[in-house]
This record gives sequence, C-alpha cells and structure tokens, in this order.
Amino acid sequence: MSTITLHDNQHNSHDDHGHHQESFLSKYVFSQDHKMIAKQFLITGVVMAVIGMVLSILFRIQLAWPDKTFPILETFLGKWAEGGRLQPDFYLALVTIHGTIMVFFVLTAGLSGTFSNLLIPLQIGARDMASPFLNMLSYWFFLCSCVIMMASFFIQTGPASSGWTIYPPLSALPKAMPGSGLGMTLWLISMVMFVASSLMGGINYVSTVLNMRTKGMDLWKMPLTIWAFFLTAILGVLSFPVLVAGVVLLIFDRSFGTSFYLSDIVLGTTILPNEGGSPILWQHLFWFLGHPEVYIVIMPALGISSEVISINSRKPIFGYHAMVYSLIGITTLSFIVWGHHMFVTGMNPFLGGVFMITTLIIAVPSAVKTFNYLATLWKGNIRFTPAMLFAIGLVSFFISGGLTGLFLGNASLDINLHDTYFVVAHFHLVMGSAAIFGMLSGVYHWFPKMFGRMMNAKLGYLHFWLTFISAYLVFFPLHFLGLDGVPRRYYAFTEFEFMQKWLTVNVFVTWAAILGALAQVAFLFNFFYSIFKGKKATENPWDANTLEWTTPVEHIHGNWAGEIPTVYRWPYDYSKPGAKEDFIPQTVPFSQTMESNLAHDFEGNSEAEEIQKNWNKQNNRVED
Amino acid sequence: MEKELSELSFINTPSAKAKRFVVWLFVASSTIMFGGFTSYYIIFSASKGKGHGLVLPDAFLFSTVILILSSLCLFLAKRLVKQSNLSYQKVLLILTFVLGIVFGYMQFMAWGSLYRTGATLINNNAAISFIYVVSALHLLHIVGGLGVILNCIFGAFKPVSQDKLMFRLQIASIFWHFIDILWIYLYVFLLLNS
Repeated sequence: MSTITLHDNQHNSHDDHGHHQESFLSKYVFSQDHKMIAKQFLITGVVMAVIGMVLSILFRIQLAWPDKTFPILETFLGKWAEGGRLQPDFYLALVTIHGTIMVFFVLTAGLSGTFSNLLIPLQIGARDMASPFLNMLSYWFFLCSCVIMMASFFIQTGPASSGWTIYPPLSALPKAMPGSGLGMTLWLISMVMFVASSLMGGINYVSTVLNMRTKGMDLWKMPLTIWAFFLTAILGVLSFPVLVAGVVLLIFDRSFGTSFYLSDIVLGTTILPNEGGSPILWQHLFWFLGHPEVYIVIMPALGISSEVISINSRKPIFGYHAMVYSLIGITTLSFIVWGHHMFVTGMNPFLGGVFMITTLIIAVPSAVKTFNYLATLWKGNIRFTPAMLFAIGLVSFFISGGLTGLFLGNASLDINLHDTYFVVAHFHLVMGSAAIFGMLSGVYHWFPKMFGRMMNAKLGYLHFWLTFISAYLVFFPLHFLGLDGVPRRYYAFTEFEFMQKWLTVNVFVTWAAILGALAQVAFLFNFFYSIFKGKKATENPWDANTLEWTTPVEHIHGNWAGEIPTVYRWPYDYSKPGAKEDFIPQTVPFSQTMESNLAHDFEGNSEAEEIQKNWNKQNNRVED
Repeated sequence: MEKELSELSFINTPSAKAKRFVVWLFVASSTIMFGGFTSYYIIFSASKGKGHGLVLPDAFLFSTVILILSSLCLFLAKRLVKQSNLSYQKVLLILTFVLGIVFGYMQFMAWGSLYRTGATLINNNAAISFIYVVSALHLLHIVGGLGVILNCIFGAFKPVSQDKLMFRLQIASIFWHFIDILWIYLYVFLLLNS
C-alpha cells in the first residue's frame, strides 16, 4: 500500500512541476509553485501599494496647500503640474488611480493572491493548487494588468479620471474629459485582465480547498484563515463576472457607439445621438460586484487576524463556529446590499428601505467577529509580536470604521452624508486601514515561512505605532468635514466660503499622511533587508499548531518531503489544561495527549471515550 | 504494470477531480456573467417599457438545432470511449468540431440578416444592441470550446491512453454542453422578451 502511495506522489509531483532540474526562469519567473507565486503576488502588491501611497501624498499636498506652488512637482510631473500646482484633471486622475490600485491591486490581488496562494496548500495539507498552471497564469495576468494601468501615466491625455467606480457618462464618452480618452481605455483593458486573473485565482482556491485536503482535515478542522480565503474566493467567482458584463457593455458604448448607458447628452454644443440608455444600470452592475468587493478586501484580513490573535494570545479562538458562520453570513448578505451605494439615484424609497435593512443586518456578523476577537484576547497570555499588534490594530479600525457604517447604511442619513468626506473617512478606516493592517500582520507573521528568515521586531514596532497613530490622525478628522457637508473628490476648497474653515484641518491631515508614508520606509527597509540578511528562522518560530509550520524551512516542491501529514485535531489547541506545552499541533494524535484530552474532543466516538475514561481512572485524572 | 495502474485510475485522483471542479466553477462564473447581461435587459425593458421588438432571424433557430446536434455527437463520442470503442469516436469528435464551426457561421448569417432589416448594432434601442453583444460573447465561448474539442481530437489521434482521453472528454463535455444550454437559454430569453 505504502509503495503505491509513494509512487502516486512522485507521479503527481512530476506531473505538476515538470522536470526537477529547474532553470532560473522556471524557478523565479514562470514558476508554478504556489509558494513562489505567493511571493510574486506579495512583492508586486507591495510595489503597487507604494505607488498608490505616493499618489495619495500628491493629492494631499494639493488639498492642504491649494494656493502654494511647488516647483519640484513640475520637475517630475511636467505639464500635469504646470507652475508647480497640480492641474485639476490630473488631480482627478490621481484619486481615480489611487482608489483603483489600492482596492484591486493591493487589497484584492496583493492580499488574497499572496496569502491564499501561500497558505491554502500549506494549511490544508496539499502539494500544490488544483491547477498550478492556471495559478501561474493568474499572476501573469495580474502583472500585465498592473503594467497597463501604470502605462496610462505615460500617455498624453493621462490616466482615467472618472473615479474608481468609473460611472458613465464620464467613462463612456471618450471626449468627455482628457482622462476619458485613451486613459479610460487602458483602465478597461487592465481591469478585464485583472478580473481574468482574479477568476483564475479564485476558481483554483475554491477547488483546492474542496478537493485536496489531507487525511483528517475535514471542513471543521480548517484554520479560520482557510475559511476566510475560501469564502472570499467564492465571493470573487460569483461577483466579478457581473463587472465583466457591465464593462463589456461600457466598451461597446465607448468604442462602437451603442447606447446602453447613454441618453440625452449634450457635449459642449453638440447634441449626441445616443438615446434610451441609463447610467443607473451601470451603477447596478458595478455595485453588484463593488459591494462584495469590499468584503473580498476585508475577509482575508479578518481570517489572518483570527489566526494571529489566537496564536499570540496563546488561547483557542473564541467561538470558532460563530466565526465561520459569521463569515458565511457576511458572504451571503454582501450580495443583497449593493443598493445602499445608490440611495440618492432616485430609487424607490421602499426599495431603499429593503437595502437599508439588509445592510444594517451585516452589523450582526461583524459584531460577532469583533466580540470574538476581544474575547480571545481576554485574559490571554499575550505575546506582543509585530504581527499581533497589527492584528489588534485591525480590530480597532474595524470597530471605529464599522460604527460609521451604521450611519451610512441608514438611507435618511445617507442622503446628507452621500459623497462627502464622511464616506471617505468610513471606508478608509473599515476597509482601507483595517485590511492593510491585516495584510501587514500576515506579512510579519508568515515572513519566516515565505523567506526562511525573521523580520526585525524593533523596526516592526516602530512601523506599527507610527502607522497606527497616523492612520487615525489622517482619517478621524475627515468625519467632521463630512458632517459639515464637504464633498469628496473636489480639487480645491478655496472657492467655497463654508469650506474655508477646514483648510487648517487639511494641512494637519496632510502632515499626518506624510508621517504615515515615512513610517512605511521602516517597513520597506525591514522587508527587503530581512529577505537577504534577516535572522534565520526556525521551523515553527511562533509555536503554532497549523500544518504550514511542519514543513521544512527550505522550500521544497510538494511542500513535505515524505507523506503529507495526517490531521487529528482542530488548529486552536493552545494552553490546553494538562498539556505538556501550551500548543498542540494538528498533527499530534489524541493518543499522545491523554493527559489533556477532553470529552468533546472525540466527537461522540464512544470507543475513544471509553479508552480515555480508563486512562483517566488509572492515572487519577479528573476531567473538568 | 504499476504505471498502468496509476494511469488508469487518473480520472479518479484528487487532482483530476479538482481540475474537473475548476471547469464547473468556470461554468458557474460564466453563468453569472450572462445572468448580469440578462438582468440588465430585464431592468432596461421594465424601465423603458420596451424590448427589442423584433422577430428573431431564422438563422438563430437553425444554429440552435446545429448546436444541439453537436452536443449529441460529443455525448456519443464520450459513450464510445467509455465502451472502449475507439474507432467511431474520432469521426464523432470531428463532427462535433465541424458543427461548432457551422454554428459560428450561422451566427454571422443571423447578424447579417438583422443588419439588413435595419436592426443594427448601433441603435437607440439598447435592447437590439444587446442581441449582438450577448450572441458575440457566447460565440467567444464557442471559440474556447472548439479549442477544448480540438484537444480531444489531438488526444484521439496521438493517441494518449484511454484514461487520459476520457479525462479530456470529461472536461470537454462539461464545457460544451454548458455552452449549448447557455445558448438555448439566451435564445429562449430573447424570444420571450421581444
């Protein structure tokens, strides 16, 4: 039996990875190994995040000092910053591309792409993804889409400028504004490739989780990270195709002259022939993806922080089942709330009420998760590693940003708050900062697994505190601008008298943003330096239970040298009363931990219960 | 002996199962995309109080019949492989492929006859443009499907082992029958929502 199994393994790995003598190209560039693809996603994601951040600093400078000139901007940006001031069109391009990069390239591909790829095979006990080839394609489509998006900075008319939601008619009429021309076309091409990449990735993740788990790894023994990545992938597979449908119709409107979204438009002095379409239909199709998208962004971060908080509190996660059910609840509900982005489109108030109710119900699973995080921390034997601090930071942002979601989900309040800085403050806390903190937590935590070395903890602390404080200093004041009615995406506040008083606040926010950006230098240095020079990692540096820490530090194809280990228990046996150590890996059978087994560990297996009872009697053990 | 054994069981390995599942997931996401299109149409026609208002060209009906026939050929080819009757299945596979090409040709004919009646792509009634867009996107799926069928034909002529060929046919059947059913759905949808 064992020879046949061994033979199968060799056969499979041969099938999956081709020849064993690898060239530089097949190992680092066109790799089909999930661990290498994860690193490719991460490094691309980090580069895109830096670009997205630099763009945000540029428009923050404009918002803080709208009347000042900065000749250095003209040096770098040429005619887009003529006379040292950003041009209004370029300002719009900056906010559009900042949003697109952060939401899609960093927090979707950078986050899911990295950690789903790294952790799904390692934590469920598989040698690789269901289709390693598709996995490789997924990365290359992603990289191409990044390059195309960035290419739009190098064309005459500049990048797309109609906001990351690209509402028509600005996106549908190439002549509407400079950014509606070639820049918008490149945006659409880039996004089609991005969706293809996401689908290939997501389909692979779902199939791998369902079909390739190791022996003993039933669904209820999976770590919460895997649950989160799995449900995120399902969300992606079910919602991204709708965006494709919307984008295809938009491309026809732009390039062929159809009227899916256009009607009654006067451009300058010419009346356009398009008739009968409706831009609201774009909003429906867009937000049917767009809203699940925010959960695609936050759920992997929630999964990562569940794992990190449990490990570093040295306690089982509080309410494992409740955590899973709340993720499932969020996944399901996210499909029926998209209308809350459209309360002011003239929608039937009754329909608005329905969307309002479904939206507010999401507060329930979200609150369950928050409560469980806090309960896990409660009386834990906490280890404040940088990863743990970032995970706790996520919980903080999830609460402070989530609360304002209750305001915005309420249709009658949203009519006032819609398109103001209140919205900006809300989503930058709850999905921006929270998801970034989850991602950073994952990077600090799994860095030893990815690169075989440790990141410097002291720099990690510096990075955390500066980023945490500056994120609040940047986004908290924006709530008050929003409540006062200051609209988002405006180029300068100098033209409106009631906004003048917010100018000093904008200066403050910009300085905080610059501080936050500088803090990232600590991370970037730490990250790249540690890849080459960090302290060598041990096999299980955090004393964690999950399967990835049973693989050797040096990466090998197929992850485990011999047979894939069998799983006997859930991943959260930390500080189990009676146990010799404060963690029991998933691969340790109950027969080796007789001193700490509990009645419910055996899931009703009466024979095992009987054996345990006899052992308890012989060893005078009293089970609580 | 051992090699044969492991190869024969290939279609039952977790890896093969996972790959079949990948195709099913693709089917699901594609269904959702066309769901997105047709919901656009439903909301559009409900809010404007009009549909495309055309009598669909006969070519669409013929192409539907042709696509069903090609699906039937593929079904028979797969059954022959299962019964280890490999001689006729090559013919049936090629027939599937040719019928797929004919389907594509019929779609072009249908667009031509729509165009001649004045129902052009660039139209102030988006419901008419919609017919072109969905049928074109469906045709893209057919192009992909032809690639999958071609993969089976190559497998049948090379020849790969019966087990591998069966796996390729399984993949092809899921995909090809899906795009068949998808077209029937789109055709009936357009018929009912004129």
